[in-house]
Amino acid sequence: MNTTHIIGVFDSKSDLLAGIESAKSKNITIDEIYTPYPVMEAIDAMGRKSRFTTAAFIYGFAAVVGVLSFLYYTSVIDWPINYGGKPTNAFPSFIIITLVLTILSITILSLFTFSVRAKIYPGKKYILPDERSTDDKFIILFDKKTAGAGFEAISAALKANGASEVYEKEV
Amino acid sequence: MYKAEVRGPLILGNKDYGQITRDIIAPIDNKTPGWWKVAMAISVTLASIGIFSLYYTVRYGLGTWAVNNSVAWGWEIINFVWWIGIGHAGTAFSIFLLILRQKWRTSINRAAEAMTVFAVMCAAIFPAIHMGRVWLAFYIFPYPNTRGPLWVNFNSPLFWDFIAISAYLLISASFWYFGMVPDFASIRDKAKTKAKKAVYGMLAFGWTGSTKEWLRYEGLSYVLGGIAAVLVVSVHSIVSTDFASSVIPGWHTTLFPPYFVVGAIFSGFAMVMTLMIVIRKYYHLEDYVTDSHLNAIAKILVFVSLIMGTAYTTEVFMAWYSGNPYEMFTFFHNRLTGEYSFMFWAMVICNAVIPQVMWSKKVRSNITALFIISLIINLGMWYERFNIVVTSLSKDYLPSSWTTYSPTWVEIGIYIGTIGIFTIGVLFFFRFIPMIAISEVKSVLKPTEISEKH
Repeated sequence: MNTTHIIGVFDSKSDLLAGIESAKSKNITIDEIYTPYPVMEAIDAMGRKSRFTTAAFIYGFAAVVGVLSFLYYTSVIDWPINYGGKPTNAFPSFIIITLVLTILSITILSLFTFSVRAKIYPGKKYILPDERSTDDKFIILFDKKTAGAGFEAISAALKANGASEVYEKEV
Repeated sequence: MYKAEVRGPLILGNKDYGQITRDIIAPIDNKTPGWWKVAMAISVTLASIGIFSLYYTVRYGLGTWAVNNSVAWGWEIINFVWWIGIGHAGTAFSIFLLILRQKWRTSINRAAEAMTVFAVMCAAIFPAIHMGRVWLAFYIFPYPNTRGPLWVNFNSPLFWDFIAISAYLLISASFWYFGMVPDFASIRDKAKTKAKKAVYGMLAFGWTGSTKEWLRYEGLSYVLGGIAAVLVVSVHSIVSTDFASSVIPGWHTTLFPPYFVVGAIFSGFAMVMTLMIVIRKYYHLEDYVTDSHLNAIAKILVFVSLIMGTAYTTEVFMAWYSGNPYEMFTFFHNRLTGEYSFMFWAMVICNAVIPQVMWSKKVRSNITALFIISLIINLGMWYERFNIVVTSLSKDYLPSSWTTYSPTWVEIGIYIGTIGIFTIGVLFFFRFIPMIAISEVKSVLKPTEISEKH
């Protein structure tokens, strides 16, 4: 369901950061920030944290155990083959395949995780408050119901800090 | 005393964010240029020669090649290693510079990664066709089968190679595509036609550029960067074990893994330079791929060239120092001298001698000279692979099995075909994909350049 949002438009990263500061100092709740490139300060301002590295480590660990078990099963239990009297559990020569398949597993599982957590997938119906945010503008989005301030107050606060435009829109 | 200069802006021309988007997507919006059509026609012709040669091989068998019992690996393995080497540097370039936080990578990484994907695809053709019965190539997949079940030999470097190349292709293609998602969204939101909006909209996966997306995007790019860096080293090391784990003189050496990895990076960086010069020239992106970018690549090439020279010298030295008569014979009578000595000296001159001219700043700032040197390096790296593969195999321990090798038209045709396939891929990349990472370039624009405008 569409709700009314207030959109603050900024031309540069420094103006955006000033706008975020002023909104926070006035206890105005920011709904989301849209930027043309990753702005770490904006991500921090939204209080977002990622556990991607932990997830990747778990995937890697699981993959190492899984691949080594698979190699042990195929080479020792299921169909042991005598290559010139060498041991069937040839651990050192399993390392390379384990390494490569671990990297492959981390990559594929991380991509899935990214897709699920960031909700990025083919055919997704997306909502982009202002199309210029993928080009040259930095956007702060406020939900009018939950922002904690009215349009006038938000507009004044943002414009005093370099917003080039503030407007209302059903998003 | 050494005096460090402050690095100038990475992007020239006082651009603003909007200008960057417009400049980079201009080749996608503009009409197809005439030179592109000519280049595509030539590439399709070359690819057709390759496809016919592949058909001929499958139809009449490997007897159409000049490989024989002694020289069992000919042009196919040379070209496989050559393409993998070229493909290698895309990821090396993109990922090492990402981890080292070298911001100048942003103008170049996209083209380098594209090059990787197309080069690895070309490389994959050779081992597949070399199996002889290519329609049974799926036998190499380790899956529960009706042949026993007989598993593949997990201890074989050739199987490691298969796993490494497949994984490398998947990973580099994912890394490349995922990096393009925000840029596809930029094109989608600037699209003037419905069809373009729909196509790029689908490719952009619903990207909006919210902090939620950027946070995960950054997390994913560092995770992928970190683990793929390992892969850059491992893939070509594994290719080298195809050779080094055998007992053939000239191959059986611990020098091979680093030698191959460095050689791969060398040829790949040279190809990156070739591509960037073409992109700069034909799409007028001189403000993004600046002289200082080419200068930086040239400096890396000079350094790597010295390592190559050291590796060549070490090989010859070790052949003498080991006291092994077979190694001595291979290097002193079948490489430095003998019927293939041209290949050896061409390799040394192209890879270790000529690149040294790039010590001169004058050469590094001469685009034509850089273009020619980058091509010479790739030629030299091809000679290197010929030198390794053919000389060692042609004359091994038994003089009765000595033989010579020169390719048939079918083998040459397949090689020419892969060049066509590669250039078709690159031309499509030029035409339909932003050649420079838009969002990444915006992030390295100096704040002063923006604030001056207000």
